[in-house]
Amino acid sequence: MFIHIKNYVANVFLALTCLLAAGPNNAYAHGEKALEPFIRMRTIQWYDVHLTQDKLKINEEVTITGKFHVAEDWPRSVPKPDMAYLNVAVPGPVFIRTERYLSGQPLMSSVALKLGGDYDFKIVLKARIPGRYHIHPFFNLHDAGAVMGPGQWVDVTGDPAAFTNSVKTISGETVDMESFGFANGVSWHVFWIVLGTAWLLWWVRRPLFIPRFKMLKSGHGDALITPLDKTIAKAILVAVPLFVFGAYAMTESQYPNAIPLQAALDQIEPLPPAVNAGKVNIKVIRTEYRVPVRAMNMVAQIHNYSDQPIRIGEFASANLRFINPSLGQSGKNEDDTLVAAKGLVIDDDSLIQPGETKTVSMAAADALWETEKLDGLFRDADSRMGGLLFLYDPSGRRYIASISTSVIPKFD
Amino acid sequence: MATTNLFDFPPQPYTGEKARLTRAFDYLILVLALFLFIGAFHLHMALTVGDWDFWLDWKDRQWWPLVTPLMAITFPAAVQSVMWTHFRLPLGATLCVSCLLIGMWITRIFAYHYWNYFPINVVLPATLMPSALVLDMILMLSNSLTVTSILGGMSFALLFYPSNWPIFAMFHTSVEYGNAQLTIADVFGFQYIRTGMPEYLRLIERGTLRTYGQYATPLSAFCSALLCTLMYPLWWHLGKWFATIRYVKTI
Repeated sequence: MFIHIKNYVANVFLALTCLLAAGPNNAYAHGEKALEPFIRMRTIQWYDVHLTQDKLKINEEVTITGKFHVAEDWPRSVPKPDMAYLNVAVPGPVFIRTERYLSGQPLMSSVALKLGGDYDFKIVLKARIPGRYHIHPFFNLHDAGAVMGPGQWVDVTGDPAAFTNSVKTISGETVDMESFGFANGVSWHVFWIVLGTAWLLWWVRRPLFIPRFKMLKSGHGDALITPLDKTIAKAILVAVPLFVFGAYAMTESQYPNAIPLQAALDQIEPLPPAVNAGKVNIKVIRTEYRVPVRAMNMVAQIHNYSDQPIRIGEFASANLRFINPSLGQSGKNEDDTLVAAKGLVIDDDSLIQPGETKTVSMAAADALWETEKLDGLFRDADSRMGGLLFLYDPSGRRYIASISTSVIPKFD
Repeated sequence: MATTNLFDFPPQPYTGEKARLTRAFDYLILVLALFLFIGAFHLHMALTVGDWDFWLDWKDRQWWPLVTPLMAITFPAAVQSVMWTHFRLPLGATLCVSCLLIGMWITRIFAYHYWNYFPINVVLPATLMPSALVLDMILMLSNSLTVTSILGGMSFALLFYPSNWPIFAMFHTSVEYGNAQLTIADVFGFQYIRTGMPEYLRLIERGTLRTYGQYATPLSAFCSALLCTLMYPLWWHLGKWFATIRYVKTI
């Protein structure tokens, strides 16, 4: 019996150790499916997201580039994006972020986004800790949550001790960010902890609770504090504030140009319109989600204002991409599990001529609706869906429209 | 009778076996108190001061010196109430802050550094030891709740920022980064990725507590001092309320 218990305890410890060892290196998802579908579909609409490489050594850099459209049909229950932060989903600082740009401008802080705006972004990451990581760009939206962009696996190899990160101050001093201020901080902590511990030991060395309690209750409390105790207390009472303000004054003279933390909100205008740019106008007339076949059926009226004939090539929503296979524009990465390469079926796939208005039926069908937990849309308080429709002319030029529509579930 | 030698103890009622047993009881209580305060006070600070103490780029000159002493004077006041009223031990604040620092350093090293890869300099904790020592001294020398509330509470708050500035001033050196002026602490926040803590969550000089002639810290420190004079007696009485054998009698 005892051996069984010992084995059981040993197994539990082994399992816990394995669990802890697995730790952040093996994070396979970032909770992106947990956010309500209407937020993932109708807030930040990501597209053209790429990573420059997927295998790095410590100190090497990977650049994430991409574009996004801020949906016009922003959900009513989500605060407007007056405060947003372009972030990267990785398990902690296994990379450091060395550069970040929005619409070509450096982005150091949070930013206010404009509804209907088109932006591009660039984030440069430097590898710090070896491992295999799934990297997403994403937006933290104030009071709403994290809206993930497309993710990709990246392998980092090498010795983490070789990682370097230095920054130059305005006065020209180069500081090592991995250790800057550490020794100074620890020294001050040790100094004060030694002083505090000395004071504690001064009292702990003598009989404490029961004898002192008994003497106090019997009216001999004054004898518990000796004159020497009082002398030491007076000395500490004078010396500690003097020392603190002395050290403060010295620090002030050592860093006369110290500045407060910076907390301005960056102001960056959107790029010229790339989505809903006026060349194509799309009005979705009706959308049904057929639950048994996991298909979003849309009937849309498309007007071509451009001077070229166009065809529908792709529908994208919440990082899912449904490709019209007859157009061959998928650009599918074999690792990208969120692309339905034959997922977009169109009843009349003929060219829409310049000036023509055509009503077409499209079916974006794939099990991805279910596996990515977007099929729960009609069980939300806001059951409107949104996404980007990509159309192409014969020369390959792309026209993008952001669409939004109510969804009617069909259970047959 | 006054003691004349450094190692002379005050008179005590017990000798022999009784003295040995009461000493064993002392150590038992001390060890339990150590773990209790490491856990409870550290949790209290994590929940109330939280990110202001966790991260370099949260330690601003307005909210950090206001919130930290105000939330940190709580446990010291309650423990002082028990230790001083029943045992004449002037070490409640120092004991609490020592336990807090042990808890903080354990989490900074093991949770933040080894588990989550942050360099420890990014998550250096603040020290409250000078404030705690002065609070203990004022209680011991005054033997007065009123005096300790006013002078001790104020000292606790007013000493906080100057005692931490020697640790954190160097992180406020300015850097030109991304075409903007940032502090080194801000650069840490930008570079070392925190997915669940976007920049806009920082409460940096936000709200109606403004600067006066560009000076922010003295205003915050005195505001905190005033509030600490009120928080101290409140938690003193909480400590007094809990220091009872009422519950033991019913067991």
